[in-house]
Amino acid sequence: MTAVYPPEHHLLRDLRLSFDHDAGGRRSRAWMPVVDELCTDLGHARAGALATLVDVIGGGLAAGAAAPGWIATADLTLHLVGAARPGSVVEARAEVLRAGRTTVVIEVALADERDRSVGIATMSFAVLPRRDTNPEIDRVRDSPSTMSTPESRLAQPLLDELGVHVRDAERGVIDVAVVDWSRNSMGAMQGGIVAAVADVAAETALRAATNEPLVVTDLQVTYLGFGRVGPVRSAVEVLGTGTGHASARVELVDAGAENRLMTVVHAAATRDLT
Amino acid sequence: MNRDGDASTGHDVGRYMGVTMHEEEELHLVGHAVVAPHLRGPAGGVRTGALLTMLDNVGGLGGGLAALPDGWVVSTNLVARVVVLSHVGPLRIDSGLLRRGRNNVVTGVQIRDEGAHDALVASGVLTSAILIPENGPPQWERPLVLQARPEPIPELPSIPEWLGVRAVGDDSVEIDLAEVLRNPWGILHGGVVATLVDLAAEHATGGGATTDVVLHFLAPNRVGPVRARVRVLGRRTDGHVLRIEVRDEGAARTTALAIVTCGLAP
Repeated sequence: MTAVYPPEHHLLRDLRLSFDHDAGGRRSRAWMPVVDELCTDLGHARAGALATLVDVIGGGLAAGAAAPGWIATADLTLHLVGAARPGSVVEARAEVLRAGRTTVVIEVALADERDRSVGIATMSFAVLPRRDTNPEIDRVRDSPSTMSTPESRLAQPLLDELGVHVRDAERGVIDVAVVDWSRNSMGAMQGGIVAAVADVAAETALRAATNEPLVVTDLQVTYLGFGRVGPVRSAVEVLGTGTGHASARVELVDAGAENRLMTVVHAAATRDLT
Repeated sequence: MNRDGDASTGHDVGRYMGVTMHEEEELHLVGHAVVAPHLRGPAGGVRTGALLTMLDNVGGLGGGLAALPDGWVVSTNLVARVVVLSHVGPLRIDSGLLRRGRNNVVTGVQIRDEGAHDALVASGVLTSAILIPENGPPQWERPLVLQARPEPIPELPSIPEWLGVRAVGDDSVEIDLAEVLRNPWGILHGGVVATLVDLAAEHATGGGATTDVVLHFLAPNRVGPVRARVRVLGRRTDGHVLRIEVRDEGAARTTALAIVTCGLAP
């Protein structure tokens, strides 16, 4: 079977991301247009959507930095400080902070087209021996680039596209199926979408706990294993609440794989991104 | 064992923090620490930097035990959220293994206040890289038991005094790399790096308290002075969001990056 990744109908196309990679392999830039379908009910881009942008650009840059080895994402953190509104374009500027024998660390600054800071992200990766199944990456040859086609766009809000099913709002128990639209090149749920699932789970539980319209602004995602079977199921522990903010710890398991723990996330939510 | 082959040195940071540890069951480490006066900060409880050091100590040792017999570990990044800033004590630090991979170990660590009905104080995750020390991994008698120091607790200087921290302008703080601040491998202890980040956040925000930290250890601090420089990224209802870069000025290189949320000063 010849697998083309991403397939024609896929998250990475529908987000209409575009990329530009520095020839030295230490920096990359990516852009994501902010559309209503990516936004929270407070009208700005959801942390999980921005985490997907970060995951894609960070993963690509790290793969180049780790060559000839390959990488496994260890963690992703995101802190938002500004609202990315519909109609704007978020630019992600990624830089390699460390490329060692066992670890690659990336920093990603997020800004809008007026160069106003939207947030900051970091990612770290374990360096692994390359397997025959790992894709070759020729970043400079492919730059600038996009995975989108003229038809690519989100047909419905991100959470509907993912099929988020809330089972217990107070405990933050939600189910999300693992489908081809959101798989990574290894056949598992894409890392940014894993962050988006945690985002929704934390927001659901923290809103239930506080009765405030909080939105997730920080995600600290530790990846422990893939979600290949699904559904991916969340459970949320509310850590603390204050006026206008709250925090939570989220665990994600692959319910179809004997509830194997996939991911641990610490999340914070506030109500005032401007 | 430290770089000079002296097993008794390189543990001053652990002694200062006063954390005792025992292995409750295999790879489940439990630490305890008294809320000692020298660890307290302006908010009344143990400073976040000290809490981070406890997370790093207990989580790191737990990760090291998980790496045996192949190797030992060095911390690569720590994420933590502090939810309570005033503490009664004693504090209990629980570390459990989340993942043991080929190259790294991930441990989940939580601190609870046993004197306040086991209230959650902090929750974090420590990731450590597995390495093979020159003289082989350390040998431990299992189940592991570590006593911090004999009681009673001696009078010790406060954290800023102990570190000898000094302000460098409005956005930076700096310390010299004193011998007592080194870990058994001869480099600046990871907990001291975390504490320096915490003190830098407090300094740059005029007394704010660190409630959330992402800390990436990028390179060892070997020479000093070690400086933490703060850039304010934004302000939200839960505080300032800061980017803090740590540099070994003597080696002219960046050694750590932290993203910190620092609660607004009272």
